[in-house]
Amino acid sequence: MPFNSDEPKPSFQPSNKVKVMSKPMPPPSRGGSYMGQPRSGGTSGMEGSMSVNSIMTTKEKQKYIEDYNFQYCDEASKYEKIAKIGQGTFGEVFKAKDRKTQKKIVAMKKVLMDNEKEGFPITALREIKILQLLKHENVVNLLEICRTKATLSNRYKTTFYLVFDFCEHDLAGLLSNINVKFSLGEIKKVMQQLLNGLYYIHSNKILHRDMKAANVLITKTGILKLADFGLARPFSFSKNSAPNRYTNRVVTLWYRPPELLLGDRNYGPPVDLWGAGCIMAEMWTRSPIMQGNTEQQQLTLISQLCGSITPEVWPGVDSLELYTKMELPRDQKRKVKERLKPYVKDPFACDLLDKLLVLDPSKRADSDSALNHDFFWTDPMPCDLSKMLAQHTQSMFEYLAPPRRPGHMRPHHQQAAVINPTAARATTSSVESGYQDRVF
Amino acid sequence: MGCVRKRFLSSMPYWYYEKKELKDTPSFHDGIDFETESRYRKEGARFIIDTGTKMDLGYNTMATGVVYFHRFYMYHSFKTFPRYVTACCCLFLAGKVEETPKKCKDIIKIASELLSKNKFQTFGDDPKEEVMTLERILLQTIKFDLQIEHPYSFLLKYAKCLKGDKAKLEKMLQMAWTFVNDSLCTTLSLQWEPEVIAVALMYLAGKLSKFEVVDWAGRQPNHLRWWDMFVEGVTMDLLEDICHQVLDLYSQPQQPNSPDSPPMSLTSSTKRELKSVPIVAQPIARLSPVKPIQPIVTGAKLKTDLKSQTDGPGLPPTSVDVVPSQYSYPPGVTSYTNSSFSAQPFPQNVPLQSTSNSSSYPPSYPPSYPPAQANSQYLPPSKSHHPQPQQPPSSQFYPASQSSFSSSYQPQ
Repeated sequence: MPFNSDEPKPSFQPSNKVKVMSKPMPPPSRGGSYMGQPRSGGTSGMEGSMSVNSIMTTKEKQKYIEDYNFQYCDEASKYEKIAKIGQGTFGEVFKAKDRKTQKKIVAMKKVLMDNEKEGFPITALREIKILQLLKHENVVNLLEICRTKATLSNRYKTTFYLVFDFCEHDLAGLLSNINVKFSLGEIKKVMQQLLNGLYYIHSNKILHRDMKAANVLITKTGILKLADFGLARPFSFSKNSAPNRYTNRVVTLWYRPPELLLGDRNYGPPVDLWGAGCIMAEMWTRSPIMQGNTEQQQLTLISQLCGSITPEVWPGVDSLELYTKMELPRDQKRKVKERLKPYVKDPFACDLLDKLLVLDPSKRADSDSALNHDFFWTDPMPCDLSKMLAQHTQSMFEYLAPPRRPGHMRPHHQQAAVINPTAARATTSSVESGYQDRVF
Repeated sequence: MGCVRKRFLSSMPYWYYEKKELKDTPSFHDGIDFETESRYRKEGARFIIDTGTKMDLGYNTMATGVVYFHRFYMYHSFKTFPRYVTACCCLFLAGKVEETPKKCKDIIKIASELLSKNKFQTFGDDPKEEVMTLERILLQTIKFDLQIEHPYSFLLKYAKCLKGDKAKLEKMLQMAWTFVNDSLCTTLSLQWEPEVIAVALMYLAGKLSKFEVVDWAGRQPNHLRWWDMFVEGVTMDLLEDICHQVLDLYSQPQQPNSPDSPPMSLTSSTKRELKSVPIVAQPIARLSPVKPIQPIVTGAKLKTDLKSQTDGPGLPPTSVDVVPSQYSYPPGVTSYTNSSFSAQPFPQNVPLQSTSNSSSYPPSYPPSYPPAQANSQYLPPSKSHHPQPQQPPSSQFYPASQSSFSSSYQPQ
């Protein structure tokens, strides 16, 4: 499909291509032939020219829209779809290649609008706003938003795509592949980058609200990127008089912190740090540590790991909406270190996990204090992931991976994380430049 | 003058224009003259504000919608896209962006109430579909540049630093706030960053409310004026220019009755009479006790006052006895996070000019200022289910149910 912008335009271009302060000032352009429409009387600016009759007919407008060259919104056809790599909160995700350079690889997230009664989804608007704000090495980079051409065949309904820098892997995909082994230094690097990303977004007053291994992307060079801001939102610290009323129906159940499960609507950054703790443990257990099927069951699993939820360990918890409505196991001892020790041999790692998986959100470590933890400042120091990842030529996404083995973390099932070393060699790809995509 | 324009990202379209560029728009190339386009912009902006006010939307939502509207018409002609449909679409999108979403059909319902039958016809057979389709075009046109900063937050920031009589300062801030409201009807948001507009209109308010800024927190030896602390390179010429663009709103002659407008409830001769007679703005009608009508202050007069003050010694601006005394800041203004938007709706029926000496304040002196015209246009006399209360002519211009923009738009 040819680039629309390369086509000659029948329209006239206004003569002023004035540059404003060294920035290109886009000339008011139009690409269509709607200009052939009759003008009322030809007198400029007469009031009568705006009477209802002189407004474009639907057909003329459709033509206008079809031909209009939106200078700031490229056509999606500039990219060539390679494979579907995921299913986001509001649409599919594709891997695609820039047709022009034949090099640049991107991920395109389709904005699903078919079932929207209220136009462009507010969730997508939120994600766009937030992604435009966040520019950081450890946050996925929104390159642009592309459109499909409005034509008769799509009933003049443009489809939009968010276009991101492509990342080869997601953490869930990597962890589900027994051939991928992380050394302690590499785990530190993953967690350090993850906490760095969280520190950055929280400093920008954004909550991610959907922390999970599948939303942690890792490039082939080992750079971690927090992704999927489809549930993210700005936050503020509420004044006592007017607590925030955020929805608590966020975060994938297995990574959902106890305050959300108990109906808190005035939460903050600690919700993301609970998720960070779950992900960190998963670096060793290789599967999510608490896989509840219901919110009640999730709370039970949390209590079994972190101890009973009581006002003694968590002052004020009894004022949360669901505190009396949920069944909370009593007399549970806190066993975070004890149960994770079989997987996590490093005592500093255990200690940091113990500080992240804290029931009371106000006592949970924040990203800054977590980053200052000895875990990151003792040998082996965090080390680059690129070497390890270079052994894997296949893109690993949870979406493409075979379903992960279910099963809860069992304290006595100590060998879960053992990896068969003989199976470590992944098939070397015949495609030298790129990564093969497993498409099922 | 240019050095203040500095805030942009390289990948972003440049949303600020020179004056001559504002006269070289798609509408202009489509045969619409500058004055007419200015009126369309003003009417669209006012309509967004009126609709938003009716729906209890906050000032940020309305202002964001207005900025989308102005930007949209830098790329499309008013002939291609009728202004009231675009205005609805901008408000619809702004509602979502500012986390104060309103249903499309509700916006359209308000629009159908506010607009004459003739104007509402531009929404076509399926108004909702019309707005939905336009939303996609709007998003592409504005390059998904959704987050807009407005001068309001800067007014508050600046006011916090200024030292002086607290009551006077608040009075000045309230006045500046109102000027910012009114500035939305101009293309200032296409010319200058919100910081610059805030400085200029606060300067104007300071002049008119006789609040002299002598000291401010954070003052450095090289700061000659308080705004040197916030924006660099703002010259007096620039400030004057911005102020005058706003003041021009208040002195614009009433437009001739346009063919696409509904018939006025008043004959044109009555209107002509009214034009020459001081009209007291609507808010006063709701006051009790009603104060004697004060002499009107025209934009020209204000300009004179401004000039005399700027030029140094001169007569103090006795006639500009400004500002409502009752004001407060929007609640939660210190944090402009989305969560606080819904908590600060604009008050609909708060008498803002509740006390004396308020009638000559800008909000109340649009004798010929669009609100009069616009409001009356929105109220076709034929609407039998909306019986007009029998009121003196002047109050028909400012029906109590539709408070004038400026006054209803003040923070509370």
